[in-house]
This record gives sequence, structure tokens and C-alpha cells, in this order.
Amino acid sequence: MRKYVVIYRSVLIENLQYAGNVAMGFISYFIIIFIFIHLWDYMYASPDSLIAGYTKEQMIWYVMITEMIWFGTRSNTITRQVSADIRGGNIAYLMNKPYHYTLYILARYTGEWSIRLPMYAALSTLIGLTMVGGLASFRLVTFLAALPCLLLGVTIHALFKLCISLLSFWVEDANPFQWLYDKMILVIGTIFPIEIFPDALQPLFKLTPIYTVCYGPAKLLIDFSMDKYLEVLSAQIIYLAAGCGMMFFIYGKGAKKLYVNGG
Amino acid sequence: MNVIEAENLSKTFRVKQKEKGMKGSLKAILHPRTESVQAVDRISFTVKEGEMLAFIGPNGAGKSTTIKMLTGILYPDGGAVEVLGINPAKRRKQLAYKIGTVFGQKEQLWTHLTPYDNFRFFGAIYDLSDKEAETRIQELSDIFELDAFINTPVRNLSLGQRIRCELVASLIHKPQVLFLDEPTIGLDPVVKENIRSLIKQMNRELHTTIFLTSHDIGDIEKLCKRIIIVNNGRLVLDDSMEHLKYHYLNKKIVELKLQEDAPLPSTEGITILKRKGSHAKLEIDTSVIKINDALHHIDAEHVEDINISNIPLENIIMEIYKSEGRELAVL
Repeated sequence: MRKYVVIYRSVLIENLQYAGNVAMGFISYFIIIFIFIHLWDYMYASPDSLIAGYTKEQMIWYVMITEMIWFGTRSNTITRQVSADIRGGNIAYLMNKPYHYTLYILARYTGEWSIRLPMYAALSTLIGLTMVGGLASFRLVTFLAALPCLLLGVTIHALFKLCISLLSFWVEDANPFQWLYDKMILVIGTIFPIEIFPDALQPLFKLTPIYTVCYGPAKLLIDFSMDKYLEVLSAQIIYLAAGCGMMFFIYGKGAKKLYVNGG
Repeated sequence: MNVIEAENLSKTFRVKQKEKGMKGSLKAILHPRTESVQAVDRISFTVKEGEMLAFIGPNGAGKSTTIKMLTGILYPDGGAVEVLGINPAKRRKQLAYKIGTVFGQKEQLWTHLTPYDNFRFFGAIYDLSDKEAETRIQELSDIFELDAFINTPVRNLSLGQRIRCELVASLIHKPQVLFLDEPTIGLDPVVKENIRSLIKQMNRELHTTIFLTSHDIGDIEKLCKRIIIVNNGRLVLDDSMEHLKYHYLNKKIVELKLQEDAPLPSTEGITILKRKGSHAKLEIDTSVIKINDALHHIDAEHVEDINISNIPLENIIMEIYKSEGRELAVL
């Protein structure tokens, strides 16, 4: 375990030098949030009305939190980099070290979002407090309780993205699969909460990883309830175990049929 | 004691084939076609502890594929291989603790970190305690003279300094076998010589077995006592450098500066390679005619200057590549 902590720490040191670059992404984030603030302002007829059980403030904070997760955790390391490593043969030079390649990638990825996510969290809080106002239901205790769910959600997201990238052992380009997964997460769990969708579809969505990645943590942060907390946490543990199993299985199968060009 | 044992090691790749043009691309989607390429074909050899071995061959010969099978990166299709008594394909991680690799064309160092941070990083990867890592860094830093730039980010180092750091990073865990894949590529002659002497020193002082792949004949000639040549996936030659030179250096090159129109000897064992004006280049086969006798056939009165040299090792190896070991029957 110590070696993965060292990998994480090394990426952290490396990425601290580029913290300034992260701020460039703030512009896109701000534009999106600005649009959603006005969109939901328009959608809510009166300040007290509810849409799908959400107040206007909750709805905007929901979008801000899910977009924060989206922007704060996006990285080429678990997507294009892994695919390029496999297709280009660079994986050969990473496999011959005494660590597991997938855990090495996850440690690197964690080192990356550990800098970006808090920066986006600070920006979201600033925008939220100045342009939307605080949440009436906010409690520090529930916030701290929901925090592990947020971290688990990010890890599950990484596991599934990594599994898709590992398909590069068999397919020429795994990016279309990444695109499909990203769009599902974006539409179903990020831009709109699951309650917006028809009742018939909601149980189906709750069976997908989408429920555990964005929706679950964001819902707990804006409207905490113990029932929901246990539900999200259980689903996350199941998905974490399933994701890990799938990742090791795909990698194990793929590594055996690795084809590396000479040179 | 053998540290590497390979027996009938084989690896076949399936390579996609596509006909030319748009029509070929569409056809490849509907009817994908692959072809088998035998990258390594029943190669057998052993390497003794502390040996410095050159494993060479032209591009596409199967060198890198063999190294990748020896380090557990690729799974062999056939045959058996053991490195330090470990099957690399089955216990790659365990083997990784005992071997080191340096690929001259690939960086393993983190470029934004300093060499010192990199060494600490690799120390942790190989489960060294902080104290062990610190002692080892100091020891290797002294041997490789890294003090001047150990705290400079790797991205700011020269290629020669970086290669020295790459070597140190691969030695941090005291590997018993070190696989060097073109370690001197792109280096100037002075730095090359420096790296070679460090590799020699490492072999001498740390008793590390060196498995070297290089296209640089200087690396092979100056470092290795034994040479294995592969071509088209097959083992073409496995011999000591001394033996190789003894059997192949039976040809001498004689370069002459003569007076205009001076006659050249025409006898068995002497081949005229080039004649241009007053300059001539002859090849003398000393297995047919003694060098002393050959020189008697040259009219000394017309000679203004003479130079006798061995055929460069590079040419010998090229000949072996071309002949694919047909001459081996002679040896």
C-alpha cells in the first residue's frame, strides 16, 4: 500500500506545479453554472415552488456539486493515457515494476483530482454563496458524513472509466465507449437529478453506477437523510467491489494477450 | 550458476493486414484479415551469474520480444524460460524485485521531479525502508557522480546525466540482473564512454549480470565477453567475443598509396576491393595466404604509403546478419 501512497504523493508534488492551469478550466465551469442559475430561475415560477421535490436553491446547488465533480475529476490519465499506453506499447515499460498497473493508474489519477477537486469545491462554494445563497438544510455534521460518499463516487467513476480504457487490449479505439458512458453520466446524473425523469425509469437508473457517482453524493450534500445515506453507501460498496473485480479481470485477461511492437 | 535459462522460447504475433486504398479499408472492416508473424522462433540459451552478454540483431529480429518475455511483460507461446529460478510470465511481480531494466528510448524517471525524489520514489516502489533507500542513493550517487545535479529536476538534465540517473533508478533495489536496451542511444562519444565504464564498474563492484541490447558496436566490443545474435526470430550465433574475433578476423584490409599505374597483385587470397588513381584497397584472406606472403606480392618500390587493419567488427556482424548463420557450420 505504501508504494501507492508514494505514487499518489509524487503526482501531487508534480501537479502542484500546474495548479495555475486548473484555474483556466474555471471559465467553462462558471459559464455553465451561470446558464443553469438563469435557467432554473426561469423554470421556478415562485421562490417557494418545488420541482421533483427540489427547491430552486437545492436544484442549483445540485448542479453545482455534480458539475464540480465532473470538472474536478476529469483527466486523460485514466482514459486516453491508458488507451495510448496499451495501443502504443508503453504499458510494457510500466508493467515490469513491482506494482499493479491498474492501481498505479488509480493512484496517479487520485493524485490529480486531489488538487483539482478542492479548487473547484472552493469556486463552487464562492459562486453558490454569492449568486444563489446558502442551503437552509445545510449541517456541518451531515456534510462531513456525506464526504466519504463523494470520494467513493469519484473512485467508482474512475474504476468504470479505467475498465472502458482497458478494452483497448481488444478494440482499436475505446473512446466511443468513453463518450457513451460520459454522456449517460452527464445527462442522467449531472445536469438533472434522477427525480426529474419519469417514475418508470428511476428504479432502472438506481441500478446503474450513475446513481453512485454523481447523483448519490450530490443528493446527500444538499438534502441529507439517513435512509438515503445508507442506500447510497450500500450501493457504492457493491459497485466498488464489482468495479474492482471487473478491473482486475479485464486487465488480467488483456495483459495475457498483450501485443507489443518491437523497439 | 545460470541466472537466465531459455529453452525453445517462441512467440507469434497476429498482425492485421489491410489492402491499399479506401476499398481495402472497407474490406478490412467486413472481412478482417490477420497474418501470423513468428517474432521469436525456438530460441535457447543460458546466461551465467555476473556475465556481460550482448544480445543483438537487426531491427525486427526478435530482441525486444525476447527481453519482454524474459522480464514477464509478454507471455511466450512455447518453450520455457526461467530468470533467477522464476517463471517471468507467472510471477512477474516477484521477478521485478530482482531485475532492473533500462530502455534508452523510454524514460522511467518522472521528469518534473528531481533525481533524488525519483530515487526515493523507486526505493518505495521496491519496498526499501527510508534508511535503506537513503544509504543506497548515497552509494550509487558516489559511483555515478550525481552530486552536482541530484537536486535538479530531471527535465533540466542533459541526456547523458539523465541516462546516468536512469541507471541509478534501475539499480536502487540491487537487482541481480540488469536488462539494458540501447542504453547509449543518442549520446555523444565522450558520454558513451563514460556510461560504458560505469556499466563495467557496476558489473565489477556490484556483480550485476548485464544483458545488453545495442546497435552500437562500441558498446558490444567494449563491454561484453559473449555475444548472441538473433535474426528473423532465430538464434544465429552464440559465442564468446574472443572466439568470434579469432574466427572472423582472418581477413585484413590493406590500404595502399601507390605510384600511378603501379600493378596490383593478382593471386589467390588477395581481393582488390577498390582502385582509384593512386589509391587501392585490398582484402587479404589470411586463411589462404599469410599476410607476410601477401605483402611480398606487392611491389614495394611503387608503394608510397601502406595501412593494414582488421575488418571492423561491425562488418563481421553485418555479414553474420546476412548469412544468418550459414557459416556457423564452419565454426
